Amino acid sequence: MLIFQLIALLGFLAGLYGLYLRYAETRRRPLPPDRSPLKGNPTHGIVYAFTAGMMPWAKESTRLHGIAYLRGIGFHLGIFAALGAFLLSPFWGALPALLSWTLSGVIALGAILGAAGGVLRLVEHNLRGLSLPDDHFAVWLVSAWLALSAIALHGPGWLPAYYLLSAVTLAYIPLGKIRHCLYFFFSRIFFGRFFGRRGVFPHPKTTQ
Amino acid sequence: MTAQVELALNTLEAQLNQPLETALEACARCGLCAEACHYYRAQPSVEHIPAFRAEQLRSVYRYERDFLSRLFPFWTGAKKLDEKTLLHLTEIAFSQCTLCRRCTINCPLGVDTPLLMRAVRAMTTAAGTAPEILVMLADAAIEKGADPSFFKELFLEQIREIEEQLRNITGDPNATIPVEKQGARVLYVPLAGVHTILPPAIVFNAAKEDWTLSIFEAANYGVFLGDVNRAKQVAKRIVDEANRLGVQEIVIAECGHAYASYRWDVPNWFPGQFHFKVRSMIEVLADYLREGRIQVDPNFITEPVTYHDSCNLARNSGLIEEPRFVLKHIVKDFREMTPNKAEALCCGGGGGLVALAEYTERRIQAGRPKAEQIQKTGARLVVAACENCRLQIGDLNERYGLNVHITALTDLVVRAMRLPKPLPGTEAEHLFEGQKEMVELDPPAH
Repeated sequence: MLIFQLIALLGFLAGLYGLYLRYAETRRRPLPPDRSPLKGNPTHGIVYAFTAGMMPWAKESTRLHGIAYLRGIGFHLGIFAALGAFLLSPFWGALPALLSWTLSGVIALGAILGAAGGVLRLVEHNLRGLSLPDDHFAVWLVSAWLALSAIALHGPGWLPAYYLLSAVTLAYIPLGKIRHCLYFFFSRIFFGRFFGRRGVFPHPKTTQ
Repeated sequence: MTAQVELALNTLEAQLNQPLETALEACARCGLCAEACHYYRAQPSVEHIPAFRAEQLRSVYRYERDFLSRLFPFWTGAKKLDEKTLLHLTEIAFSQCTLCRRCTINCPLGVDTPLLMRAVRAMTTAAGTAPEILVMLADAAIEKGADPSFFKELFLEQIREIEEQLRNITGDPNATIPVEKQGARVLYVPLAGVHTILPPAIVFNAAKEDWTLSIFEAANYGVFLGDVNRAKQVAKRIVDEANRLGVQEIVIAECGHAYASYRWDVPNWFPGQFHFKVRSMIEVLADYLREGRIQVDPNFITEPVTYHDSCNLARNSGLIEEPRFVLKHIVKDFREMTPNKAEALCCGGGGGLVALAEYTERRIQAGRPKAEQIQKTGARLVVAACENCRLQIGDLNERYGLNVHITALTDLVVRAMRLPKPLPGTEAEHLFEGQKEMVELDPPAH
């Protein structure tokens, strides 16, 4: 088992290092200074971007496509749970049953919602038109990893396969579209800063 | 690689900063941005999804910069830039995106697709494939800035004629339109047209403002080109004028892109030289009303009125409540469009599209969602605080039979001021009709 764990660890470190390289490359780029006087508050804008601005009712797109948005949220919650489970994997045997079953439940739901996203990419007209091979591969890879995580949590016989798939999935993160997990943070910060300083978000109080 | 392609790629490389690289990397291609775009709403197809448009630049970027894409281009849709792709990018950036940022606020990741489209505009301008008319207009403005004496005499002559009209309308023999007044508090920058000079002049005189009129116009075609060098040169004329006159504040006519650029971009282009407050005429009107510096009759305008939020003013500059504050003071029957404010639909006239005759049909088709929105309000009067929006809504009015009149906010305020002498026309929308002859400021604005 140790060899499989080491392979998974290598995959994890490779993914982490790749993400670090991406992060460092982006941070090396200039950040244009903004000398224009503030109308709003960029910090409030950034806080909004990560909180109220992420709520399904905050945007027309998510109000129109609430189910798709919630599917995405569920999928990503599953991913975070699976990452947590991966880091805890050497100690799975010591986990309380309730935690273990909760984790596998969240991860399994994530796997199902991820697979649903994979199917949608194949059948829904717009999504099919937008999708690249990388998109199809990424969604199925992560969904399979989630499924195997949920299974392996309660089936030790699956652990070698789980660790191998973990290595592939985690190492792939910085290479393909999954790296949007890093740029999500950059993007929301720039979004919040831009609209915050201009007094657009958070929504200003009505002046009378 | 041809010189043209090389120029485009070098321009992309030169622009790469943290926000641009983030916009290039962050998209998950979830497609949630589709309905945010008025092009998609008017004509639902994959090509009109903002993420798809942005993908055309991303594919080029990946080919140049991404490890996996260099090895397996088909895997990430990476594509080597060639002349054909460059022309395709030009078409997309100048005719299928008005830079309204409605997709950005609807994106779960907040991807700034208009930033990518601006980058493409800059690339294609550098490569020489951008629409010639925009390049010509920007260059003509720069040339005029280099030697204002070329047009100044004629301009001053025309201003004296407008001043006569001003005195006639207001009944105030002392009403003036000062030009190049040293030490004035406010420098007002109009667009090319009497309609953006006379109504504000009426307001400034009524408010007893210490103001002076700029000899240049606010429109900046360098901004539409995404060409910061040209945009800076165009803006420099006004920055220099403001410095020379020693004004404290620059007030921009009702113009979306001009306000957004002077308010947010120009201070960054002239560090150490830009010490002025920048306000839109909308903010000035709101402040005058708040301070009681102008008197209006709140019962004078009785027809149903709606307000169109210009993307540059509302979503991109936060001027959301100010125009509504003004309208509440002068309009009895105000009706909001749905959606509105930061979520307002783009009319389709932004991003310089109004100036591009070759894309007129596409522009008017893309404006259909806005036309439907206007129609649903039942309003007879549409107020828009942006010249491009007014021109576009005028075209929509004609094409879709909206049967509305379109007016600037200042025009409506002037009407509600109930001046001593009758104004030209009896309806606000006709207020300055027949007076839209161009003043020889800069190249025609639109």
